[in-house]
Amino acid sequence: MAETTGEVPNRSATERAPAARNNFGALVILVLALAPQIIELLTSCAGLIFNFSGRNPLQVLAGHGSALLLAVAGLATQSFGGGKAALSSDTLLALIYTYPMLAVALFTLLVRLRAPQDYFGGVVLMAMALFSLWASSDLQGMHGFSFGAGTAPRMFGMLLLALGAAVAIVGVVSDGPDLAIYHWRGPLFVMLAIVAFAVSIRPLGLVISGLASFLISALGTPETRWVETLIVGVCLTIGCALLFPYVLGLPMPLFPRFLVQ
Amino acid sequence: MADLFHNLALGFGVAVSPINLLLCLIGALVGTLVGVLPGIGTIATVAMLLPITFGLPPVGALIMLAGIYYGAQYGGSTTSILVNIPGEATSVVTTLDGFQMAKQGRAGPALAIAAIGSFFAGCVATVLIAVLGAPLTKLALAFGPAEYFSLMVLGLIFAVVLAKGSVLKAIAMIVFGLLLSMVGSDIETGASRMAFNIPELADGLGFATVAMGVFGFAEIIRNLDAGAEMDRDLVQQKITGLMPTKKDLIDSAPAILRGTVLGSILGILPGGGAVIASFAAYTLEKKIAKDPSRFGRGAIEGVAAPESANNAAAQTSFIPLLTLGIPPNAVMALMVGAMTIHGIVPGPQVMQKQPDLVWGMIASMWIGNLMLIIINLPLVGIWVRLLRVPYRLMFPSIVVFCAIGIYSINNAPVDVVLAGAFGLVGYWLIKHDFEPAPLLLGMVLGPLMEENLRRALLISRGDWSVFLTRPLSAGLMAVAAALLVLAVLPTLRRKRDEVFVESES
Repeated sequence: MAETTGEVPNRSATERAPAARNNFGALVILVLALAPQIIELLTSCAGLIFNFSGRNPLQVLAGHGSALLLAVAGLATQSFGGGKAALSSDTLLALIYTYPMLAVALFTLLVRLRAPQDYFGGVVLMAMALFSLWASSDLQGMHGFSFGAGTAPRMFGMLLLALGAAVAIVGVVSDGPDLAIYHWRGPLFVMLAIVAFAVSIRPLGLVISGLASFLISALGTPETRWVETLIVGVCLTIGCALLFPYVLGLPMPLFPRFLVQ
Repeated sequence: MADLFHNLALGFGVAVSPINLLLCLIGALVGTLVGVLPGIGTIATVAMLLPITFGLPPVGALIMLAGIYYGAQYGGSTTSILVNIPGEATSVVTTLDGFQMAKQGRAGPALAIAAIGSFFAGCVATVLIAVLGAPLTKLALAFGPAEYFSLMVLGLIFAVVLAKGSVLKAIAMIVFGLLLSMVGSDIETGASRMAFNIPELADGLGFATVAMGVFGFAEIIRNLDAGAEMDRDLVQQKITGLMPTKKDLIDSAPAILRGTVLGSILGILPGGGAVIASFAAYTLEKKIAKDPSRFGRGAIEGVAAPESANNAAAQTSFIPLLTLGIPPNAVMALMVGAMTIHGIVPGPQVMQKQPDLVWGMIASMWIGNLMLIIINLPLVGIWVRLLRVPYRLMFPSIVVFCAIGIYSINNAPVDVVLAGAFGLVGYWLIKHDFEPAPLLLGMVLGPLMEENLRRALLISRGDWSVFLTRPLSAGLMAVAAALLVLAVLPTLRRKRDEVFVESES
């Protein structure tokens, strides 16, 4: 690919600065590779505060840390020693998901991407596929000629892995569009509104949580004018409070629990 | 033949009862109301309004949903004619000539012709469903698991070939959808798969949840990127003279006829559906017109043909659903979701066990079309006013409405969060130019495919060649393979791209 760019000088004008982009892309993939571990760590920290049962953060950190460092060693001893001891779930995660994704991150650093949009799309699909392979690794596979619970997920997981890789490779070998620009404001506030609704609908009821999520999602654009938004929000909430429970007969709490009791 | 009339009579008997007529009317009205809102496509409309049918009896719910579906489609055409914003993919081509007509002050005739064309196509398609329904059901009884599996593969391949953009990416989306459908309990062993001990996931990802996320929330976030004040060159003139002239009618009559035929055929094909029908009809009209340069400058045929084609296709796509139980496109997949919620498993058995339901729905399609023509033409003024609602007020309303709707399906807050997560997934898909519709189709067909694959292999004692040795299955597989080869061949690919580029030129 390098020599073609040399031959066609006028194309270099439209070319992106690949180095900077790739470093950032590789970093994102690195984070993606460690995402399951990070997420488990965060949920276990939250577990300390809200008192879930489950592993505490230190256990999580130790489990994943040793798994990440020693996964290969574990695999080697198992295959050489012929030991029946099954690999732990953490080790499997490292082996099935994290290591391949780290390899992809490294690969990203080394190649010049000609269609980043396709490349990163394909890589994320690969990540999903690898993750699903790990998630279904504890399920029973084929026994005899009948399918086990894990056969189909693994089959489709492998297929998606191959397809994701193909999409990514297309992004390396042929020209295509650059990454589209991601915005943060719209997604952030719309998601916040959705989560706020989900958290508050049971304890606070439709009237409060509906209005609250209306106002939060209105933050998603700078063009919101608050007076009219408030009026429309109140009208919509009243409308929904009449429509869903009364007209459609779908039971849901309307007012905060502590007020009703 | 006598059977046919008997069935239709039964259907009309069910559909004409006052309560069902009312539901059909409400469905068509509400569907149009939501469909008219720019940026909300048919799939999003049906997904959003799904919860409001839960409280109804099954027949009423399906009749209302069918009404919503037609209403949404008609609403989409209205926006494409009046504001040049296609509400959904099927009405993209309508914008080409429809908006030009509106600019020339002929929005009235354009809307009227769209409605008349749709109504005519609807009538023909209704009869077609009634005629083809019974024989196809018999065919379905000859289907074993191997054939079902092959048919679904064929359907998915059709969806790939007809999807916009890269074939590879479309296949990847289907497989992603299949994989998502595996979440939850295994059908045979009951083992929990990829559920991470989250109780709400044990039952699998809800189809409506994913649809609402990927089509509803993702669409909102995407629209917000562009700034809330979308560029809308609304036709400001007052719409006068609703009725088309005699010349308009004469010009558009053959176009309507051709569009109907084309649409009916394409609609039956699994994976086909309304999108490709409208594109194909428009291309056909342009090809055979004496003066092709009129197209894109307000030719009435350019409105009449695609509108009748997409309505015909929308309706005939019920055929594979009702007879084989296989949804041919994403909207039908939502209908399956709705049926399952009411405890109906679509397929050949439904036709025999619950004829009143099937024929009632078929009859109500016709009535729904009639209602669209009666209610929508006088109400055009209201729809236009609706288009002036600014997006900054509309999108929070949609967010809240969707959230309440998802919550009401299972009374589960986790579902709402999941839909939000799938909204982000959908946003990512849009940013990387992946089509969400094949994903949805894969997700619906996933459990069916897995079940039939397992059964077929169990019967054949693990022999994979069963798909190629049974003649019917082999035929379906051969068609699928041929289609796939054709789709990646350079010449056809160019043609296919041309069809889709038409809209952007």
